[in-house]
Amino acid sequence: MADYSFNGGIVIRNPYPVDKVEIIQAPLPKKVIIPLQQRIGEQAKPCVSVGDYVLTGEVIASTEDSFGVFIHASVSGVVLSIDEQAIPHKSGLKSQCITIESDGQDKWIDNAGCSIDFLHCSAQAVIDYIQKSGIVGLGGAGFPTHAKLGKIKQCHTLIINGTECEPGVMCDDALMQFHPREIIRGVEILLHICSAKRAIIAIEDDKQAAYQALLMFNHNDKISINKITTKYTSGAEKLLIKALLGVEISSGSFAMDRGIACQNVATTKAIFDAVVDHKPLVSRIVTVTGSGVKPNNFEVRLGASFKSLISMASPSQKVHDYRMGGMMMGVDVADIQAPICKITNAIFVNNHIHKTAIQECIRCGQCSEVCPVGLLPQQLYWHAKSENIEQALNYNLLDCIECACCDYVCPSHIPLANYFSFAKTLNKQQTREQDRINIARERFEFREYRLERNKLERVKMMTDKKRVLKEKMAKEQSQKRKIAEAIKRVQQAKDKKL
Amino acid sequence: MTPIFSSTSWMMRQVIYALVLGVMTAYYFFGWGVLLQIILGVVTTMVVESVFLALRGRYVISSISDGSAVLTAILLAISIPSIAPWWVIVVGVSFAIIFGKQLYGGLGNNPFNPAMLGYVFLLISYPLQMSTWQVDFLSLGQALDVVFDLSNIDVISGATKLDEVKNGLSLVGSIQQLGLHSPSQAWINAGFLLGGLYLLLRKVIFWQIPVAFLAGIVLSSILLFASNTDLYLPTQNHLMLGGTMLGAFFIATDPVSASTTPGGRIIYGFLIGVLIVIIRTFGGYPDGIAFAVLLMNMAVPLIDSFTQPKVFGR
Ligand code: SF4
Ligand code: SF4
Repeated sequence: MADYSFNGGIVIRNPYPVDKVEIIQAPLPKKVIIPLQQRIGEQAKPCVSVGDYVLTGEVIASTEDSFGVFIHASVSGVVLSIDEQAIPHKSGLKSQCITIESDGQDKWIDNAGCSIDFLHCSAQAVIDYIQKSGIVGLGGAGFPTHAKLGKIKQCHTLIINGTECEPGVMCDDALMQFHPREIIRGVEILLHICSAKRAIIAIEDDKQAAYQALLMFNHNDKISINKITTKYTSGAEKLLIKALLGVEISSGSFAMDRGIACQNVATTKAIFDAVVDHKPLVSRIVTVTGSGVKPNNFEVRLGASFKSLISMASPSQKVHDYRMGGMMMGVDVADIQAPICKITNAIFVNNHIHKTAIQECIRCGQCSEVCPVGLLPQQLYWHAKSENIEQALNYNLLDCIECACCDYVCPSHIPLANYFSFAKTLNKQQTREQDRINIARERFEFREYRLERNKLERVKMMTDKKRVLKEKMAKEQSQKRKIAEAIKRVQQAKDKKL
Repeated sequence: MTPIFSSTSWMMRQVIYALVLGVMTAYYFFGWGVLLQIILGVVTTMVVESVFLALRGRYVISSISDGSAVLTAILLAISIPSIAPWWVIVVGVSFAIIFGKQLYGGLGNNPFNPAMLGYVFLLISYPLQMSTWQVDFLSLGQALDVVFDLSNIDVISGATKLDEVKNGLSLVGSIQQLGLHSPSQAWINAGFLLGGLYLLLRKVIFWQIPVAFLAGIVLSSILLFASNTDLYLPTQNHLMLGGTMLGAFFIATDPVSASTTPGGRIIYGFLIGVLIVIIRTFGGYPDGIAFAVLLMNMAVPLIDSFTQPKVFGR
């Protein structure tokens, strides 16, 4: 199939290459910290209390919110506390978490599922399992999978995203090499749910081993495996769709609107585990890489601390900088006691180096050459810096995917994507403010209108009343006159007779 | 692999290296005066820039090492006559740095090309000094004598070829009789052309501005020349006289004051080329690069806002 590709984007070699991709099983953590806040929707409510014994896979928090998913214990053991803990988030804020001390037994609970003959289950039933198994998008976005699947109507193409989101991250590559069977089955489950005519698994062309592995296990002629050019940001949903199908999803609308559904390979594998093996999402594969460690992938229980995982990757003795997610779009983390969450796909451990000084923008235009969306980061930067949001919106601020390609090439080392993310937040605030003002104004205007209307009504009533009165008087008068005339006539007749 | 430039100073240094060939050619023909002007300009720019950065409370060393001020000084120094008295370049560079750059808020915020602003300022203030060029090679001693006005030596000086065209046309009937051949200028232009190609190859500058710039010159001069071969300069002279190549590859491409969209760069470069031919032909000054560049600098915001590239999904 054709490779349509898109403009811009950057080609970066894996900065910390490995000879062979592996998945190492991390030992059971002694303690897990599981956050209750999810990406969207409200915080889940704990359904266990301190001191309770829980089994691996047991639901420890649930939610009524349609965007929320269930939260499960990732080890068996005793609930130590339910309180605020540091979580890996760019805000650096603490959040409500459940802490469980492992008993080292890893006893599993028996969950319901529909096993291998999932074709007998209705699509809605499978989606329910997915929600109850706590599955969210594992590519890094963390959007609840059941919500995404529930919205799909009339889907013709299912895209499974097997492109590694960022250079240096290898967890999906490893997953495809070592679990191709589960992934293909997972795709079949997804095909069943959204009743699409075909599924395309997209792989970057430098992942030959993963490609071969999937090819070997794929016996379904609805599923095709496509190689695309290795380029950073081809993992972004809309750009991937462009690269695969040549379809450009217009700004402001979603892939679903065009009958295309997208899922990540890791999510697909998690769906298989949940639906066929009845295993909720309690672990994930995390890449630990960077100049300060020996890069590798680890399968680890959710809630284990960053620190415990980093210590497995033979870290160097130097001072480290930690980053979660990836070198481009990741977030710097200060506290490595924070737990690994569902969206933690990679941890970068780099030997500390001084950040290069930021210089002024010289409008060299390197940034707009690589922007995959075709924006003009240099202009956006100008307006974002001066907080001129209106102008930034004119330069299509909202289309920026914050991929940081522009940062990467900027010779002045300006953290452009950060500026844009900030400007977007500002814009959201302003719109909210504007909405409030608009509502207040509408209310005020309505009140004015009502007062005005009341006044008019009163005036109308008065005039009506007056008119009625006048009419009445006029009528009475004419009656009187008629009577008088009649009397007069009678009088005249009488007079004549006399 | 996507090429990445380590820093802004690296880019500026590349531009300065690319200038070397042209400067050496100029040295070959005109001697030490050329280098003297550059040295004077660079020293002045260091002093002025440091003072201003300190006044504005910026880190002097890290800002000055971005190389942009030095580049401005060099560009201005090679644009003025190499026998101009020392204070000309000092005044020019100071003006360029202070009024062309620092008062707008320093690098990145200046709407005009500082070197060209300095040049125009000098041209208007000191027309005599700015239009006397020498013909011979000057030794170091001679150059020092002339530039610092130490003793009254006689340098064989004259006007540039473009000046001659302007003034000589009234004396002779046809432009063909003027003897337009000027190997020195042609060679210097060739030097800058090669330097510019190096910058293109290293992707420090984008192709749109120089190509459109030269296309603008070629097209408009062909039209003029075709309309009257006696009155107007042929295209090859437009290309090889004056500062054409310097302008196309080094001056118009100053990223800060140029248009920054791909389409905009083409419009920007092309119109500069056209304006240069118009000013050279009909204007009061012999060479029009500085005016053309400044005029188009003014149009940049307009050009940029009309040439936004297509955004994905829109
Ligand atoms: S790459 Fe950096 S310096 Fe160049 S135009 Fe973009 S923001 Fe400015
Ligand atoms: S961060 Fe935004 S502006 Fe920068 S390259 Fe990515 S999409 Fe373009």
